[in-house]
Amino acid sequence: MFSDEASDSVTVPSVWRKQHESQRDTRGSQTSAVSRCEAEVQSVSRTSSSTQTEPEPLTQLDPEAADPPGLRDFLQRVEEEVVGELVSNARSHAFDGFQVNWGDHSQLVSCLHLLQHPVAQERGLHVTCVSWSCTGSVVACGFGRMEDGGWSTESSYVCTWNLDRRGLNPKQADLVLDVPTAVTALCCHPDQPALLAGGLYSGEVVVWDTSRTQDPVLALTGMSAESHREPVYQVSWVPLQKRGEFGVLSASSGGRVLLWTLDSDQGRFVLDAVFAFVRQQVPHGVSVKTRGGSSTVGVTSLALSPWDPDTFLVGSEGGLLLRCSFSSTTPAAVASEGQSVAPRAPAVFSFRPCSGPVHSIHCSPFHRNLFVSAGTDGLAHVHSLLQVDPLLSLRVSGSYVFQVQWSPTRPLVLAAATGQGKVQIFDLGRRSLRAAATIEQGGAGHAATSLSFNAHSPRLLAVGSTDGSVGVWQLSAALSEQRPRESSQLEQIANQVAE
Amino acid sequence: MAEVEETLKRIQGQKGVQGIIIVNSEGIPVKTTLDNSSTVQYAGLIHQLVMKARSTVRDIDPQNDLTFLRIRSKKNEIMIAPDKDYFLIVIQNPSD
Repeated sequence: MFSDEASDSVTVPSVWRKQHESQRDTRGSQTSAVSRCEAEVQSVSRTSSSTQTEPEPLTQLDPEAADPPGLRDFLQRVEEEVVGELVSNARSHAFDGFQVNWGDHSQLVSCLHLLQHPVAQERGLHVTCVSWSCTGSVVACGFGRMEDGGWSTESSYVCTWNLDRRGLNPKQADLVLDVPTAVTALCCHPDQPALLAGGLYSGEVVVWDTSRTQDPVLALTGMSAESHREPVYQVSWVPLQKRGEFGVLSASSGGRVLLWTLDSDQGRFVLDAVFAFVRQQVPHGVSVKTRGGSSTVGVTSLALSPWDPDTFLVGSEGGLLLRCSFSSTTPAAVASEGQSVAPRAPAVFSFRPCSGPVHSIHCSPFHRNLFVSAGTDGLAHVHSLLQVDPLLSLRVSGSYVFQVQWSPTRPLVLAAATGQGKVQIFDLGRRSLRAAATIEQGGAGHAATSLSFNAHSPRLLAVGSTDGSVGVWQLSAALSEQRPRESSQLEQIANQVAE
Repeated sequence: MAEVEETLKRIQGQKGVQGIIIVNSEGIPVKTTLDNSSTVQYAGLIHQLVMKARSTVRDIDPQNDLTFLRIRSKKNEIMIAPDKDYFLIVIQNPSD
């Protein structure tokens, strides 16, 4: 039934398995021959020439040429109409009090930045002075202590922040300068944004050049017999006789105001003028309270007049307010200790004294006779340079007023920093004498020690307080834009006769 | 010639007038009481403005034409009397 059968094997070729040898082809190529040639060139003759632009002659309107034709007839036609419009415009009340608001309605003050230096805050240092640079984008502040009575040797800082930089970190200063003692005064150079002048608690005056990374100290007065021995409460840059040059004026509670010129090659100050204040030489024999029995009058504040380069105002520890002159030649009645420059007594006129030290004076940028002064009596007095008594006394706060400044854009606005931590902004055009706006910075128990308006962006105000922070506040348009008739209102205030 | 000067003096003597400029039809100042740089600035800017104002008035109503232009700003008022050949620009501060 079943039988074996042998069948042939079948071969099935693989479909997927291929030969491992790949196909080979041989090809060759060659570029065509590259053509080359060499050549040399040398100049044989040379000429040089240069060009320079010349200043273009201004197209002057030639006043002597004959009148163009038709001008006379044209004027005859329009004169009557124009004069009629001018007269009715001068009389019209159509636009009285009419104001257009081009900007948005915003609240009166708003805080833009709160700048802090954590190291200084940990040590509990207070901000004693703030200053804007001349470009308006950098704010510099100095640290120290406000209530120091005795000598202190703790080191301190000067910090700057550039607000226009994109990566602004409010907790980290762009530049931190180490200072051996507390900083009591700071002032930025009015032309060169890198220079900063500072007055220290030890009586030294320093100028820093922030563009130098190695050693920013450009000049230092050092402790010599001629420099201050007491804290320097104010430094200012003063234009000197030579245009474009500035000297540094420093005032200290030792009763001296010194004018230094900068010798930047040698890195030192040269004393230019010494003004000494002595009780006996105060004009009008106004009764003066001086420290101890000494006859020196300690200077706590200084202001330069932007209208008259010869005048400067000085406020003292005893409440005196004096008008002084740079060009006075009366020698001061102090024992001259062999100094190189003879001290002079510059006081010319004395105003009614306050009952406490005068912390701040500022001359109005809009009227040549007005200035405001503030001290520990909590009042801000608006004085005229021509009268002894103040024109107006504003009740700022119940405690000390540390700094007061006129607004650079609105003639009637001034801001005052108080010991209760608030900055009060007054508008003298209002009928009531209450503050138009208040800035509160820092917690309770902290004082606002210094403030500074930004001359470039007039809506910004920097406020330094004892909690170690600098606040940059923006004022609304109402507080920073000039209204019509403000100058005439200011003129009226200045022309009042004090009762 | 003296008449032109007298007329200008009369206008200048009105209350609050700060300056007068007379500009010709091409925008070039012909007579002025201000300094050169301000004059050139005012002449250029105001000439363009008057042309624009005039074309605005005529576009709205072709029978109409511009007779007088007044620009009131916070600090002062600029009055412009246009004509075929010249413009008279007077700057006045009415609250002076």
